[in-house]
Amino acid sequence: MRLFLLVLAFVALVLPIHARAQTADLAAVVSQYRDQIEKPSRQSIGPVVDEIAATGAQGAALLQAWNERLLGLRKSDGLLVIAAPEGDGLKLTDAATGADLGSAAEADVTMLRPNSGVRGVISAAMAGNALSDPDPKRRIEALDSMSRRADASQLALLREAMDDPDPALAARKQRLERMLTIQYDSDPAARIAAIEGFGGDSGLDFRASLNPILAMRRVAFEEIPSGTNIAKELSLGGDLSREDAYAMLVAEGLAPARLTPQAMRATLAQHIVQGSVGGVPLAQLADQDARDRAYTALEAQGTVQPAASDDEVEAALARYKFLDVYAEPNPDVTTAARAALRSTETRIGLMQAADLSLDALSLASIYFLAAIGLAVTFGVMGVINMAHGEFIMMGAYTGYVVQQFIADRTVSLIVALPLAFVVTFAAGVALERLVIRHLYKRPLETLLATFGVSIALQQLAKNIFGTQARPLTSPAWLDGALTFNDVVSISYIRIAIFVLALVFLGLYLFIMNRTRLGLEVRAVTQNPAMAASMGISPDRINMLTFGLGSGIAGIAGVAIGLFAKVTSELGSDYIVQSFMTVVVGGVGNIWGTLAGAALIGFLQKGIEWFNPANTLAAQTYMILFIIIFIQFRPRGIIAAKGRAVGA
Amino acid sequence: MRKPLVLRHPSILVFLGVLAVFTVAVTVLSAGYGTGAISTSMVKTLGKTLCLALAAVAMDLVWGYAGILSLGQMAFFALGGYMIGMWLMVARTEGIVAGSLANLPIPPTDAEISAAVATQIFGVVGSDKFPMIWAFSGSLWGQLALVVLVPGLLALVFGWLAFRSRVNGVYLSILTQAMTLALALYLFQNDSGLRGNNGLSGLQNIPGLDAVSQEKLSIWFLWASAVTLGLGYLLIAWVASGKFGSVTRAIRDDEARVRFLGYSVEGYKLVVFVLAAVVTAIAGALYYPQAGIINPAELAPIASIYLAVWVAIGGRGRLYGAAIGAIFVSMLSSWFTGGRAPDVNLGFYTIKWVDWWQVLLGLSFVLVTLLAPKGIAGLVDLFEGLRPPKRQGQPMGPDMGSLREKEAVE
Amino acid sequence: MTALLEVRGISVSFDGFRAINNLSFEIADRELRAIIGPNGAGKTTFMDIVTGKTRPNEGQVLWGENSKSLLRMNESQIARAGIGRKFQRPTVFEDQTVAENLTMALSASRSPFSVLRWKPTQDSVTRVGELATEVGLGDQLGRKSGELSHGQKQWLEIGMLLAQEPRLLLVDEPAAGMTLAEREQTTTLLRNLAEKHAVVVVEHDMDFVRRLDCKVTVLHEGSVLAEGSLDHVTANPQVIEVYLGRG
Repeated sequence: MRLFLLVLAFVALVLPIHARAQTADLAAVVSQYRDQIEKPSRQSIGPVVDEIAATGAQGAALLQAWNERLLGLRKSDGLLVIAAPEGDGLKLTDAATGADLGSAAEADVTMLRPNSGVRGVISAAMAGNALSDPDPKRRIEALDSMSRRADASQLALLREAMDDPDPALAARKQRLERMLTIQYDSDPAARIAAIEGFGGDSGLDFRASLNPILAMRRVAFEEIPSGTNIAKELSLGGDLSREDAYAMLVAEGLAPARLTPQAMRATLAQHIVQGSVGGVPLAQLADQDARDRAYTALEAQGTVQPAASDDEVEAALARYKFLDVYAEPNPDVTTAARAALRSTETRIGLMQAADLSLDALSLASIYFLAAIGLAVTFGVMGVINMAHGEFIMMGAYTGYVVQQFIADRTVSLIVALPLAFVVTFAAGVALERLVIRHLYKRPLETLLATFGVSIALQQLAKNIFGTQARPLTSPAWLDGALTFNDVVSISYIRIAIFVLALVFLGLYLFIMNRTRLGLEVRAVTQNPAMAASMGISPDRINMLTFGLGSGIAGIAGVAIGLFAKVTSELGSDYIVQSFMTVVVGGVGNIWGTLAGAALIGFLQKGIEWFNPANTLAAQTYMILFIIIFIQFRPRGIIAAKGRAVGA
Repeated sequence: MRKPLVLRHPSILVFLGVLAVFTVAVTVLSAGYGTGAISTSMVKTLGKTLCLALAAVAMDLVWGYAGILSLGQMAFFALGGYMIGMWLMVARTEGIVAGSLANLPIPPTDAEISAAVATQIFGVVGSDKFPMIWAFSGSLWGQLALVVLVPGLLALVFGWLAFRSRVNGVYLSILTQAMTLALALYLFQNDSGLRGNNGLSGLQNIPGLDAVSQEKLSIWFLWASAVTLGLGYLLIAWVASGKFGSVTRAIRDDEARVRFLGYSVEGYKLVVFVLAAVVTAIAGALYYPQAGIINPAELAPIASIYLAVWVAIGGRGRLYGAAIGAIFVSMLSSWFTGGRAPDVNLGFYTIKWVDWWQVLLGLSFVLVTLLAPKGIAGLVDLFEGLRPPKRQGQPMGPDMGSLREKEAVE
Repeated sequence: MTALLEVRGISVSFDGFRAINNLSFEIADRELRAIIGPNGAGKTTFMDIVTGKTRPNEGQVLWGENSKSLLRMNESQIARAGIGRKFQRPTVFEDQTVAENLTMALSASRSPFSVLRWKPTQDSVTRVGELATEVGLGDQLGRKSGELSHGQKQWLEIGMLLAQEPRLLLVDEPAAGMTLAEREQTTTLLRNLAEKHAVVVVEHDMDFVRRLDCKVTVLHEGSVLAEGSLDHVTANPQVIEVYLGRG
């Protein structure tokens, strides 16, 4: 009990003293560095900021105000104040003590305006403080800013603030500490240990921390200085062309420049004497040999610098060694970093392949969606419908129009899907009744007539909706992406499209194999005369089948509209690829369409992988591949079989 | 013993006569050589239209006679334009560059001129060197040979691959469409060597003819186009008549039967396809100097489909029909889309033809296909009292490209 | 007597169904032969193989004195080698005149470039006239063949076959859809043809075959069931079973 009282008394005594001492400290610091605070420079302000930060809470408040440009000098007495805007005027606080000084007009205070470099220093110092802030949000912010903009000084700050009540944050701090150790620790052994501690970690941050260690410069030395951390000695003509090597020497001022045609020309132009140069008339100088003669003549006269001859170039190249040199002086560190990077690259390669496969899968689903309606109309019925793309477009616009009336994205999507089916089903039935019916067995004429419909529908869409893209916004739950790690991720909307493609596949199989309609469709396509004699009306079946294919196109349009821009050209962007999908897969077989979509999707992504910058080239090569593929399998991947085919 | 071609087929004589009268009339009314009633831009449009008509005649040989609905003809047309455009661009830039370099104290070497020309031409795609494919661009004769060789070779390789594996009908159409799409996408790339989507421009300035005004030049090109159309028409009419034409039409209607007669169907298709490609390319080589600019958009699949549409509206299977269709539809098109057609006020809505012409074209095309497969040329039959055969809707043969009942005459 | 056409052990299957099963067959120059058999016996498939339309899975088809293999040739090469085929349904080029149809079939170089340069000669015009007269279409030369009657088209097709001057004619069910009188006339025509050419007639009408009075090959389920004179094969119990057992 006594002890407790004693402690209490001690605390009561010490605390105010300590607090006073601190404020006194801050005031002292402020007065000591007053000039630097008023006119800070990025190079020298660091220690000042650190000292202010070390004074505690009021120091932190001062730094924060400084950083936010709220620090000023009261004009009446030159006191350093924190001036927070309040109404029309300012609320003043003594920067050194935190004492409230009441309000003042803006004109009473001269605001300090630290530049961004200085503010960077201030915020880094604050981050060190914030790492131990009781508010976890501020700790997270501080960690974020530290991992974006790290330097050696922060390693110490971070190490002081490693304890964290939140285990997740503690882990983050731990990781960041290891990463900063790799880059900034003064002990190479600690750095190597940190590098090896990561194993084959594939995080972007880890790779980013290795990259500066492995940064290289290309240099030329006569004698290699000791302590140079050599990445590679370059062989002339192999790793480095002789021209580039000599250009390096010239650029570093180690050898005289070779005479370029431009330089020769300029030199000759300076030495024109009475219509000739070095005795060669100007008119003849439209010829390289004549220019060489003129230049040699000038050299002989001693009026121009002799240009580096080939022998001199050879000699210079032989004298120097050309190296790639690490900026990092310690070879053990670079070796460890290189080994670590290599092992992560293997893993990253595998993950990129996985990511690419996901991309390809989603592209394949898109093609499948766009083509499945065609698989019905073209594949099953043999009717080629060039307006199929415009049905996709109609579906997308239906989705857009529904969103104009129903604000809730989810509900509007639920309404739009069946509505798009109804709209395009009706359009398909109309097209079949009015045009296609009269052109059965005339596929080329059908192609051209439906093309007429296609351009009419496209222009109609332009007239109604205008030429600019219309938004079809997906519901919030489809935003974002499913992220596996830094490399592998897939957006939810693509997953949804993949699922939709699967649903359609199931639906198609169900309709064709399990329903009366499917049975009749198969009967009519295999033998219309026989089907008719059994009481199936081919007319009705053709109409319904065509409507079905068109309706599916409409639903696909809503799906495609969710991630592509809805314009009148939406359909024509997909039509050629859709036909390719069906043709490559094999007409009349849904599995063929699936295989075709997969082939085209994976192929396109695969080609893009080899040449990522150029999607145009990828499409070109893909189409070329398809043209050649058709040569060898004219009936597609999954060919329809039987005697009837050959006939 | 036999009457000459033009007497056996009087339509050829009529066509050539009309073409001659048209060309002379335009010349007399032109600004360059006559009264000036027809503007120079109109003369250019007419000249271009004649080139399109030639492309349509070639298309008719492929589709109307051989039954191959090629949806890639404009690829050959544009390739022809690109080949001549390369020379035009290099020769003209050379003139300009040489002019500006001549002011320097030291006269330029050939290498310097060439480097400056390359920088001038390929600066837009970030290059300063001539790509390999420009090897002959300095020579007019070299590029003229390429006008024929490049599209001819493309048609030969593509046709050989496609016909050999007996791809036909709709598949062949889609394949040709894919070909032109692939080519267009390739040319859109900046490193394709043909200036990416910038294309070639300034083609209306003919090197060496700077002294000739555009008014006169347009008439020269009109005459060149007319003469080429006339010669091309004669050539194709000659091919399509006689036994070769007979075999070609037989292939259109029933190619399996032709095989059993001992004719190599693939060989015939290939000859027709390559010939049409070459003629189309020549038409293109005359078209683009009048248009002044060419870019990869000219190869878009839709352009080739339009060519098929013109042939269909004019009436396929007769060369004059194809020419009429191309001239009629493309002139009408430019009239409607050029804003010259008067708007129609319906009270509640004003029909602006700029917006509605495509709809009208699309629908009228459907109607022609459905109701009047003979197209405009059907009017000639009506006039001559020729009727289609009565076949209860049966076409003239089992193949996809065969003549329909309504297309044939008794 | 050496064989003009020799077929050795060919088999072909569609989707596992063996349409032709180890079939062997020979025909000599200027021989008339009838092939009979019930529906699905493989008669048409056999002709498809000989003319190059269908490729057999195994076996050989040899042609002429030098026993050239036909399997490496396509339809048009086989036709040029001298095998003509008449289809069951008359197939002529309906948008072209009788004269054009016959001119196309006339024996001459088939290469595109020589056809391009080809001009009608006195001989060719006369020959076309003769052929047309021979098949009873002498006054129809300028008519489009699409306008001819069914029978006239059959005759035109036979005229085209003659114009080709083949060494072997394959005739698929020539009597189908003909009247009794027309059948009689067709019989005579085929027998006359066999004096200059080898002729294979595929038929399943026994009465018609009897009138032809020639050697008969009976096909059943893709192989030869019996061969010999009509009386000989009809006495064969297996043949009787195939024909009557089904009936």
